[in-house]
Amino acid sequence: MQPSDPVIRIEKLRKRFGALEVLRGIDLDVPPRATMAIVGPSGSGKSTLVRCINHLERINDGAISVGDVKITSAGVESGGRKLSGREVANYRRGIGMVSQSFNLFPHLTVMGNIIEAPTGVLGWTRQDAIERATALLRKVNLEDKANAYPATLSGGQQQRVAIVRSLIMDPKIMLFDEPTSALDPELTGEVLRVIRDLALDGRTAIIVTHELRFAREVSSHVVFMEGGNIVEEGAPEQVLGDPREVRTRTFIGRIGD
Amino acid sequence: MSFTRLWGIFWEYRDVLLAGIKVTIALSILSMLLAAVLGLVVCLGTLAKSRLVRAPAVLYMEFCRNTPILVQLVWVHYAWPEIFGIKFDAFTSSLIALALQSSGYLAEEYRAGIESIDKGQFEAAQSLGMTYPRLMRKIVIPQAFIRILPGILNQFVICFKSTSIVSIIAVPDLMYQAGLIVSATFLPMPVYTAVALMYFLLVFAVSSAVRMLSRKLPMGGYFQTQQHAAV
Repeated sequence: MQPSDPVIRIEKLRKRFGALEVLRGIDLDVPPRATMAIVGPSGSGKSTLVRCINHLERINDGAISVGDVKITSAGVESGGRKLSGREVANYRRGIGMVSQSFNLFPHLTVMGNIIEAPTGVLGWTRQDAIERATALLRKVNLEDKANAYPATLSGGQQQRVAIVRSLIMDPKIMLFDEPTSALDPELTGEVLRVIRDLALDGRTAIIVTHELRFAREVSSHVVFMEGGNIVEEGAPEQVLGDPREVRTRTFIGRIGD
Repeated sequence: MSFTRLWGIFWEYRDVLLAGIKVTIALSILSMLLAAVLGLVVCLGTLAKSRLVRAPAVLYMEFCRNTPILVQLVWVHYAWPEIFGIKFDAFTSSLIALALQSSGYLAEEYRAGIESIDKGQFEAAQSLGMTYPRLMRKIVIPQAFIRILPGILNQFVICFKSTSIVSIIAVPDLMYQAGLIVSATFLPMPVYTAVALMYFLLVFAVSSAVRMLSRKLPMGGYFQTQQHAAV
């Protein structure tokens, strides 16, 4: 693989939910270490696109290539061979995902949430996992919440724990699916700061977001989607500052930043 | 009849009654344990993708839930020897029949519990690289279990009460022992009244104990999260 080869290559991707086609032939390359922001109105297919990448959604047509793994309508394959459930799980653990509803495990403490996968999936010792988790919790200012249950935390705190839970797996790729959409406005700042300072560090990342200012600040690429298509993509200053397409301009004008 | 004389009778037969209580308790606990495991296997079967696995699991579940316990008991004890060529003693037959009955209900209870777990929990676990068996074991089933604990307790109480029926194939449970005492003393009213009270106290003690235990689970406001997520 050349250093400039895309980490994620999406070709002619189509996805339908029943009769509704939510992705209508998406072509997109994500270069290494890029931070790609995907913006667009609700229902444009942004979240679905991201969820296809780690195979939470099956796709109907086209292909997604990540390294030597290829996702098609037939499933997940590598070197022409269909992957087993365990191999798909291995593929997923290299891709961190943070969603808008946090999805912390409510029956586990903050520490339990974070160390479950490193100990269970990666085979770390409990002690190593706790050490690493504590270091990460310190970086997001939640060291004192290690023994708290998720239900006792604010949304912003829960989302920071969810980010730490993903990062401890040291994924090559991070996917953020509207990470601040479920948060009160005064809590989005702390989460965006953690994403910027901790999660994007040296990784390839895709962020679906409505926070245009944040997108402009952190991203290297911006993609504008509408109606299951990519309308425009390019540098943040260009797409968000001086959009070529009327539809992009209308959207940015409407969302007002 | 004076109270002292009545008490004298119970005192005289205390070992008979105690033996019956032991059998009743052993039978209900063992059959519930068996049913808990069987029910989980069947439940996972009903959730399987392959129809070859799903169909027999669903059939088993429906059969267990839709046949009377008395019929199951007699069927296991008198028909199984001819169908499967194995003859069980009365206690084992009772154990199997009670486990059959409860496992059908528990399987349904588990299934409802698992299906009530938010899809996001599955997805978060998958995103962390957990395989299906691991995410079920570590994330989904523990949460589902806590949600359905009241239902499991309820089934345990039903199972406990159902044990009284095994006296018809001469398992020496509390009910059977009471019958023995009645035929020796010709005092059905006081004996059966006392036995009814004993069942009541036992069931009441069990359900109160489990209720108290389930309140002490280290859940840190688990149900609050659920409400929060629903908003």
